[in-house]
Amino acid sequence: MMRMTLPVFALSLLCGLARLHAQTAERQLNIFGYFQASLGHNKVVARPVEANSFNLQQLNLFLQRDLATTWRAFVNVEFVNTYSSFRNWGVLSLEEAWVSYHASRQFKVKLGLQVPTFNNLNEIKNRTPLLPYIIRPLIYEASLNEVIALSEFLPTRAFVQVYGFIPWRNWKLDHAVFVGDSPNINQDPRYGQTGVDTTKSFLVGGRLGFRSNVIKLGVSASFDELDLQKAELPPGISQDERESVSRIRLGGDLSLNLGRFMWESEFVRVNYDDDNPILELSRNFYYGTAGYQLSERLFAYLGYWVTLEKALPVADRDLTVRTVGLAYDFREAVSLKAQYARVRFEATKPEPLKDLADYYYLAVSVVF
Amino acid sequence: MKNAVIVIGLWLLASAGAAGAQIVVIVHKEVPADSLSHAQLLDFYSGEVKRWSDKTPVVIFDLKPQSDAKDLFYKFLGKSPSRMKSIWLKKLLMGEGEPPQALASEEEMVRKVAATRGAIGFISRAKIQAGVKAVLTIAGAEP
Repeated sequence: MMRMTLPVFALSLLCGLARLHAQTAERQLNIFGYFQASLGHNKVVARPVEANSFNLQQLNLFLQRDLATTWRAFVNVEFVNTYSSFRNWGVLSLEEAWVSYHASRQFKVKLGLQVPTFNNLNEIKNRTPLLPYIIRPLIYEASLNEVIALSEFLPTRAFVQVYGFIPWRNWKLDHAVFVGDSPNINQDPRYGQTGVDTTKSFLVGGRLGFRSNVIKLGVSASFDELDLQKAELPPGISQDERESVSRIRLGGDLSLNLGRFMWESEFVRVNYDDDNPILELSRNFYYGTAGYQLSERLFAYLGYWVTLEKALPVADRDLTVRTVGLAYDFREAVSLKAQYARVRFEATKPEPLKDLADYYYLAVSVVF
Repeated sequence: MKNAVIVIGLWLLASAGAAGAQIVVIVHKEVPADSLSHAQLLDFYSGEVKRWSDKTPVVIFDLKPQSDAKDLFYKFLGKSPSRMKSIWLKKLLMGEGEPPQALASEEEMVRKVAATRGAIGFISRAKIQAGVKAVLTIAGAEP
């Protein structure tokens, strides 16, 4: 009896393993990603301030697995600014972890941590191989976080998104609606769990757009609340006046692809619904980039980017960038980039300041 | 002068040959479509549509080496290879899809399309064989 059972058991096990192997081969875990390393030189025009630095700007590691024909799981782990926990450099961040359901081209759903669709660049701002830039258009440049209030300009994380497109003649109507946390996230373990929203408000937003082979345009909006209880405000404002204020971001994007010529542009306007006479809050961002495909591998561009921030009485500052650059597809998965940017910084608050700086960058971007 | 006439004559002959070149878009024989439009082809090759009407996943193939067939196909799509590459790269990095497998020759393209359910590819008209069906003929560069 025992002699019969063992071969049958072994055969069943082999069959089971073969079936499991076939399933694994069909729905295998894909590991891939990209990185961008750069060499930068910056110089303040009026003062003897100058620096050179190598930097691993970005390394993103993706894990992706198809759970079924219409279901996919995706994880994006991001390492920024030559990350090393040992040396206390850079940032390690879980940027995305979602599962998507692809019912049809009109209706797709993503559940889990994700970057919401807003204007043209928000979703792909950190996908450096997709962009010709080394320094990205201001509010999309993570390294400017200490100069510009980036999370005020853009919705940064959502947890549910319904999106897709509806074909209409030669056009496609894009739609996306998302819900996520407001940015009032607890960072101090003394006040409870970190990483969770401390207010009852949600982030709600979306984008509606049209595109054809030549043109892509859209409007975006998001709504959430700014918690003034935690904002840095002067002592003249009492605790009672520090109520949450509604924050509405409005955006528009226009991109053109006319043969070898490319144009992309966006605006973002952030409005705050506050009736406090002491406070004046508003933020605006504009960017335009014109590009030309000089050859199959070589792309050249020039751009003009502006942010205008008013958070009176605390801050009033403008940043203007004029930039030119080149991107060269060296191999299938390797791009070389060069960029020059002249940055003008002007502030009247917290203290009057005018500065002009030149930035020169070289970078290599690799998909693996 | 005589040499110049011969050179111009040869160039005209070569141009006429290229203008007469035809490629066909082929699909696996069980694909539920007998013809495709330019817009549908572009939707498949840019990863916008990922399934056939019977829900079979669309598997797209591309050609690795530069060839007349590849040039004609991309001209018909109205996208340069670099533009298509950036579209596929975006799909890949957004977790929305994978770039097509690039095959070494048209002969391999026929074999792969014949052997893969839901497959779509393109070859010179002369290379067509049993096991695949042609759903679109492309002659010249205009859609």
